[in-house]
Amino acid sequence: MHLFAQDLVNGILAGGILAVVALGFSLVWGIMNIINLAHGAFLMLGAYLTYQLFASFHVDPFLSLPISFVVLFALGYLIQTYLINWVARAPILTTFLLTFGLSLLMVNIALIVWTGDQRGVTTAYSGANFTIADVTVPWTKLFTLLAALAITGIMQLWLTRSKTGRAIRATSMDIGAAQLSGVRVAHIYAIVYGLGAGLAGVAGTLISLSYAVNPGMGDPFLIKAFVVCVLGGLGSVEGALIGGLVYGIVEAFATQLDFTIGTQHISGSGLQDAIALVVLLIVLIVRPTGIMGKATA
Amino acid sequence: MMTTAVLRRIGLGGITGSPIAIAVALALMVVLLAVPLGHNGYLEIVFRNILMYAAMAYGWNLIGGYTGYVSFGQVAFFGAGAYCSAVLSAHGIDNLFADVALACVVNALFAVVVGLPVLRLKGHYFAIATLGIGLALSDIVANLDALGASSGLAVHHVDEAHFYVYYYAMWLVALATILGTYFIARSKLGFAFVAIRENEEAAAVLGIDATRYKITAWAISAMMAGAAGAVFAPANGFLDPSIAFSIDSNVFPIVMAILGGVGTVAGPFIGALILAGANELLQRYFIKIHTLFFGAMIVIVVLILPRGLVWLFGLKGGARTWLKSLTAFKA
Amino acid sequence: MQLRPIAALAALALAVGLAAPSGPAAAAGDTIVFGSPVSLTGNLTKEGHLTQEGYELWKNYINAHGGIKVGGKTYKVDIKYYDDESKNDTAAQLAERLIDQDHVNFLLGPYGSGTSFTVAQIAERKKIPMVEGNGAAEKIFNQGFRYTFGVLSPAKRYLEGILQMAKAQKPPAQTVGITAASDAFSQEVAQGAAAWANANGMKVVYNNKYPDTATDVSSIISALKATNPDVILNAGHLQDALLVQKGLKEQNVMARAYGYSVGPDTPDFASSLGKDANDVFGGAQWSDAVKYKGVPGFYQSAQEYAKAIDAAYHHRADYHNAESSAACLAFQYAIQRAGSLDPEKVRDALAKLDVTTFYGIIKFDSRGINLFKPMVVNQIQNGRLTTVWPALTADGKPKYPAPPWGQR
Repeated sequence: MHLFAQDLVNGILAGGILAVVALGFSLVWGIMNIINLAHGAFLMLGAYLTYQLFASFHVDPFLSLPISFVVLFALGYLIQTYLINWVARAPILTTFLLTFGLSLLMVNIALIVWTGDQRGVTTAYSGANFTIADVTVPWTKLFTLLAALAITGIMQLWLTRSKTGRAIRATSMDIGAAQLSGVRVAHIYAIVYGLGAGLAGVAGTLISLSYAVNPGMGDPFLIKAFVVCVLGGLGSVEGALIGGLVYGIVEAFATQLDFTIGTQHISGSGLQDAIALVVLLIVLIVRPTGIMGKATA
Repeated sequence: MMTTAVLRRIGLGGITGSPIAIAVALALMVVLLAVPLGHNGYLEIVFRNILMYAAMAYGWNLIGGYTGYVSFGQVAFFGAGAYCSAVLSAHGIDNLFADVALACVVNALFAVVVGLPVLRLKGHYFAIATLGIGLALSDIVANLDALGASSGLAVHHVDEAHFYVYYYAMWLVALATILGTYFIARSKLGFAFVAIRENEEAAAVLGIDATRYKITAWAISAMMAGAAGAVFAPANGFLDPSIAFSIDSNVFPIVMAILGGVGTVAGPFIGALILAGANELLQRYFIKIHTLFFGAMIVIVVLILPRGLVWLFGLKGGARTWLKSLTAFKA
Repeated sequence: MQLRPIAALAALALAVGLAAPSGPAAAAGDTIVFGSPVSLTGNLTKEGHLTQEGYELWKNYINAHGGIKVGGKTYKVDIKYYDDESKNDTAAQLAERLIDQDHVNFLLGPYGSGTSFTVAQIAERKKIPMVEGNGAAEKIFNQGFRYTFGVLSPAKRYLEGILQMAKAQKPPAQTVGITAASDAFSQEVAQGAAAWANANGMKVVYNNKYPDTATDVSSIISALKATNPDVILNAGHLQDALLVQKGLKEQNVMARAYGYSVGPDTPDFASSLGKDANDVFGGAQWSDAVKYKGVPGFYQSAQEYAKAIDAAYHHRADYHNAESSAACLAFQYAIQRAGSLDPEKVRDALAKLDVTTFYGIIKFDSRGINLFKPMVVNQIQNGRLTTVWPALTADGKPKYPAPPWGQR
């Protein structure tokens, strides 16, 4: 496998993005017990925001990261406060349905505003790369990975050190106790959901550098977010990072599988989704709480 | 010893939902018998799809609504059932009974084999595992040349003059799922399912073999979805992974069951009728933005009917109780 | 207030609303009504709109120039559309609605091979002729259908032209690397390219696929790079074409020619990638540089057609526009020759059709697909799409080999 090193690098780079995609999703799911099917739509809006800033005002995508975060955070906060909060404590299915409907709404509004055209964010430095020992590393992807690590680090610090962060963790552990200590649960939920949306927006910004921007772009990433979350452990920041990297690496190595039996072509890259899902199933059966998860379901 | 009498004394009873709702559902089923008489192929498709989604919603309802194991992968069984018909057709067998029978057998086995490891997972993890199964199966079939890969398989079907057989076959499948749910709900099986949903540990202490009942629930729900798929394949005339394992086939039945009311007998059918009907009408009158309205509709309905429609049927106190219920789930 | 009766009434109302017909029966008096499910939403939205543009342009031309003469009578033309959401099944159901509910005379195809296939099934069952210009998968035409006709060249041809061109250069290209999306159409394109290469002395050194929904193709590109092919071909759709082209640059993959089945011909490709899109080849059903002279009844040259599209829709004419209009033209000439609107007579006239148009020759083989029109090869040169092959239709020379990445 002479491509081992290159595949490893590809996998880590891809995994970094998946980690950011999964992070917001995991937080909302782990803390609010809501499977946010609108996560992909938030990602898409972040990507469009970056595209628009780039196309109309020549703002570099990396510079639009904080803008993406703030705008999507605000959107998420508002949606939670005025819509989702009505059913925040309903059974998991109700919120599943609600976020599904929201996703349809957002995607179709995007379709009307931007049409179905594929957009791209191609900067002057897009595609620039360097090579070390036969391994080619694209600069953009490297910076994306660094951004992902930074974001993960910041989130982890904030959740453990800041007052709001502690309130969030308290709420996720025991709502009643948290309320008794003065935590306004609805407000905390709004912050968490806003965080989820903001992180999705940031992921969208990073993704727009390689991936075509279109209204339906969120879905494949949402599905991978599902897998990465469980792989890494719900509600865990390190879990999202590790889960993302593991998924990215598995997907990259799966491409090595490429042979033919009779007329049946067995293609690892064609089967990459199936392989990752099988890996997921195995992890779930062997260690359901994921790699970094705690023992609460 | 666990008997229905004991369970009823504990308080686990009345799990069929409002009897009036059931009566309405059955009455509507009778009305639906008349559709092919109008000789409108398009309407036949619309209502045949409603029946198909209803059958799948009942399948989901059994494992998700009654047993409490929310599955996002029922489409795997639907697709498997559809491919059963396609494979039989490719070998010259074009008999609906054979199609449905094979689909049931294959899916029951599938559910048992996969259920043994997967049903040990709880809550979210079970949900994700089932999602993974559905997606993985779709991918694998898309790579299998023997099943047509992404190009798919053609499925033989009767000519235009006799096409109504598929409508009535689907009607029978839907009826079977409604009646099946009704009788299961009132039987020991049904009480066991609900006991597992309410508190699996307590149920085990009371002597209910949770593993056996969970697998049974999943096998039955798999057969329901599979039977619907088996009738769908020849009616559609063609099958490929995107059709057999479509997201719509996965999501619609769940939405319908929830809309109508989970864990009831009439819920999935009423939900199917209303959701599919609304989708159709939206498509007709709002060609470019119907999905937008569909999304808005779902959001509004979820907010004003978080417990589903059939719950409304049994509601005492009418509108005032309903209005009060709207804030029941606020954080 | 009792809620039960209200809910029951709602269900009943919906059932009644569904059963009601959606409007006046079509084909009233002197209008020929065509029905077409197109992807106005979903992942094929862009192409669906291009298809609709092609249909509408033809309709407006015909109605402005006196309609279609059938027998002794002149008919206007109308087209009824529904949105199939880029879903195969929905397209079929909508086709049935168009026939049973809206009573259209004929069907115009949807966009895409998947949808065209399912609609062809319906056309066959209902015995209503359908002509399509946007579904190139040959499986549609291997089923023995009699009522479906495709004016476009089949999928397997899409990348052949690029290989032909590369082989004709000095020194000739010898090795080919192919990456393809896993949908039916892309697979047919890839298999066609591989078959042509094998039959013409070129070696296929890499041939792999990725799922439509792939979010990252770096590893498949790394593997491709390691085999060092002269020509790199991609069979996919616009979304993954962009992903692949960016990936090729990122990993510094050097080949003499890069060819895409879908991508370069769409303006989005060049506008999204800027300079990185230069020198890429694309296989196309048509370009505005071709020099066919069509028979009277419509725009007779590609250039006139392109001007009309630009005036109406403010963008450069795309081959999806042209092939859609061509589908309408097939009906136009067939109906005129049949002298009747009877489905059987029109079907027979379509089967015997042999006419040259701005799009090229429209003639169907015994299965219903147009094997008689060649594909063209376009290349993006300095941001502009130029036709470079075959030489007869070209308005520019191919730039081969491609310069290194930084120098485009």
